[in-house]
Amino acid sequence: MTDIQNIKHKAFLFDATRCIDCRACMISCSVENNIPMDKTRIWVAGVGLMGEYPNLGHASMVYHCMHCEEPDCLSACPVGAYSKREDGPVLYNKDVCIGCRYCMNACPFGVPHFDYDKNIIQGAFIDKCTMCPQRIDNGLEPACVATCPTEALKFGERADLLTEAHARIAAHPDRYVNHVYGETENGGTSYLILSLSHVSFAELGLPVLGSTPVRDVSEAVMDLTIPFALTWGAVLTGITVGVHQFNKRKEQLAEAEAKAKTEETK
Amino acid sequence: MKMEININPRLRFHLSPLVWILLTLMGIAIVVAMIRYIYGIGAISNLSYSYPWGFWISFDLFTGVAIGSGAFVMAAIVYIFELKEFQPLLRPSVLTGFLGYIMVVIALLVDLGHPERIWYMMIHMNGTSVLLEIGICVMSYLTVLAIEFAPVIFEGLKWQKFAHTLHKYIMPFVILGVVLSTLHQSSLGSLLLIQPAKLYPLWWTPILPVLFFISAVSIGLAMIIFESSVSARYFHRGLEIHLLEKLARAIPIALAIYLIVRFTQLTLAGDLQYLFNSGMMSILFWSEIIIGSIIPLVLFSFKRIRQSSNGLLTGAIILLFGMILDRFDVSWFAVRHPDPLTYIPNLMAFNAHYIPSLPELSISIGIFSAGILAFGLAAKYLPLFEGEEGHPSSAGH
Repeated sequence: MTDIQNIKHKAFLFDATRCIDCRACMISCSVENNIPMDKTRIWVAGVGLMGEYPNLGHASMVYHCMHCEEPDCLSACPVGAYSKREDGPVLYNKDVCIGCRYCMNACPFGVPHFDYDKNIIQGAFIDKCTMCPQRIDNGLEPACVATCPTEALKFGERADLLTEAHARIAAHPDRYVNHVYGETENGGTSYLILSLSHVSFAELGLPVLGSTPVRDVSEAVMDLTIPFALTWGAVLTGITVGVHQFNKRKEQLAEAEAKAKTEETK
Repeated sequence: MKMEININPRLRFHLSPLVWILLTLMGIAIVVAMIRYIYGIGAISNLSYSYPWGFWISFDLFTGVAIGSGAFVMAAIVYIFELKEFQPLLRPSVLTGFLGYIMVVIALLVDLGHPERIWYMMIHMNGTSVLLEIGICVMSYLTVLAIEFAPVIFEGLKWQKFAHTLHKYIMPFVILGVVLSTLHQSSLGSLLLIQPAKLYPLWWTPILPVLFFISAVSIGLAMIIFESSVSARYFHRGLEIHLLEKLARAIPIALAIYLIVRFTQLTLAGDLQYLFNSGMMSILFWSEIIIGSIIPLVLFSFKRIRQSSNGLLTGAIILLFGMILDRFDVSWFAVRHPDPLTYIPNLMAFNAHYIPSLPELSISIGIFSAGILAFGLAAKYLPLFEGEEGHPSSAGH
C-alpha cells in the first residue's frame, strides 16, 4: 500500500461552500474533451433546497473520477485497460477494452460510464474523466478547474491542497465538516472534498469508505489462486493414485484368495 | 482406412410441439441479438450506469456456471474416487456441463460491449482481475469438457480406436478439469469481493469463494438428480434410482457444511444484526437459506424420499431454486449501486431501479432453449445413457 501521507502528485480540491451550481465545469469539460451533448464525464450533484423559509440552504458538489491512489477499476479490469499515471490521472485505454463493465461494478463511486447506444463498429466503450492530460502536460489546469468562476475547484500538488484544505477548516470551523474527504478514503484519492458543516458527505452522494482500498480483499484472494491451484492439483493427483493403488491391491488380494481357494479344492 | 460413419437414433424422440416451441424461442433470440449488434446493447436491454450487470450475468453466467457443476462433481466421483458404479450418470452430467458452459459463452457474446475481443483476455492479462481468472478458467474448462465428452462422440461415430486412445489418457484432463472447476466456481464468488461498499453485508464476506464452492457441490449433485429424472421421464428410459439415492445422501452433508460455514461467518463478522431487520434483504436471505438449504437438507435426510423418484426430483428442484436465488441475490438483488447521475435529494438512499426488459429475457430464454434442444439431439444420436464401452482400466483389451 502506498503511504497516504506522502503522495506526491497532482490533485483536485473541491470546496462545497464555494460552489454556486452554475455547471460551467460540465460545459467546459464536454467542449474540451469533445463529449456529445447527451453524455458527460462530470456532473453536479445537488442536495436541493434544505430547511424552511426564510432559512433556506442549498448545497451542490462537482463529481468526477476520484483518481484513486489504488484504483479499483484498474484492479478489476481483466484486460488491463486502466493505468495510473505517476502524476495522478487514472487513464482508460479503449483499444483493449472488451466492454465487460466490471470496472463499473468495481468503482465504489460509480464513475466509469458505458455507452449503451453504440454498436460494435461505432465502438461501445467506457468513458470517464481523464484529468485532462492534454492540458496538464502543457502546464494548464484541467478544463473544469480553469472554468470554475468561484474557485470551488482547485488544482495543484496534492500535498499543498491538503494543507490548504485543513487551513480552510481551521480558519472557519463553523463552516465546514471537520474532515477532508479523499484524504484517506479508499486508500486516498486525488480528488479532495470539503463539505458544508450541515451537509454530510453521504448527502453529497459520496459512499462511506474506510482507508483500505476496496480492492484489497479481492487482490489478496487472487494472490492465493496459483498456489491453491498447484496444491489442489497435487492433492487430487495424490488421491487418484492412492485410490487406484488401493483398488488394485484389493483386486490382487481377492484374486490371490480366489486362486488359493481353487488350488485348495484341487 | 475407410471411416464408417453410421449414426442411428437410439431413443424415442418426437419432433413434438416442444421442439417447435424451442426452435421459435431460439429464432426470437437470434432476431433480438441482431438488433443488439446493429443498434447497441441499450436498444434491447434495461442495463444502465447503475446496473452495468443485470439478468444476463445473474442468469446466464452465475446460474449457468453453477448448474454446470454436475460435470466436475461426477468426474471426480467416477474417475478420481474410482466409484465406477456411478458411470451411467457421468455422460449426461458432462454433457450438461459442456452445453451449460457453451451457453455461458454465447450469452457473454451478447453481453460484452466488444464480443469480438473476448480473446483479448488471453493476450492482455491483468493478474489482479478476478474476471480474468474466470475467463481463462472457463475457456480452459470448456476445452477439458470437450475432451471428456469426445469419447461419446467417437463411440457414436463408431470410431472405437479414438475413443479407446482418449480414454487411456483421460486422467490428467479430469484432474485439470476438477482444479479449473474449483477455481472458477469459487471465483464467481470472488467477483463480488471488490464490492464491499455495494453488496449487502448479509452476503458480502471475504469467504464468498468458499461458500460458492460448497454450494456448487450441492448444486452439482442436485443437477445430476434433476437431469436424470427429467430425461428419464421424457425419453421413457429407466431411472438409476439406486445410484441417485446414494448421491442424494451426500447432499445433506454438503448443505450442513454450507449452513455451518455461512452462519459462523455471519456471527464472527457481527452481521447477525441484519438477519431480521433489513426488510427485503432479510426476506431474500431467509428465502434462499430455507428453500436452498434447510428444506432440501431435511428432505434428503429421509431414506423414503431418497428412494422415490418423485421425492428425488422434488428435492432437487427445491434445492436448485433456492441456490439459484442465492446467485441472483449475490449478483443482483442484494447489490446497491450508487447512481451519481441521478442524485436527487431524498431519493439517494434508494436503489436505482432495474427490471430486465423483455428482449433481454428473450435472449436468455433462447439460449436456454438451444441448450435443451442440443441435449435432446445428443440423447437421440449419441450413446449418452449407456455404460461406457471401455473405461480407463479396461481400455487396453
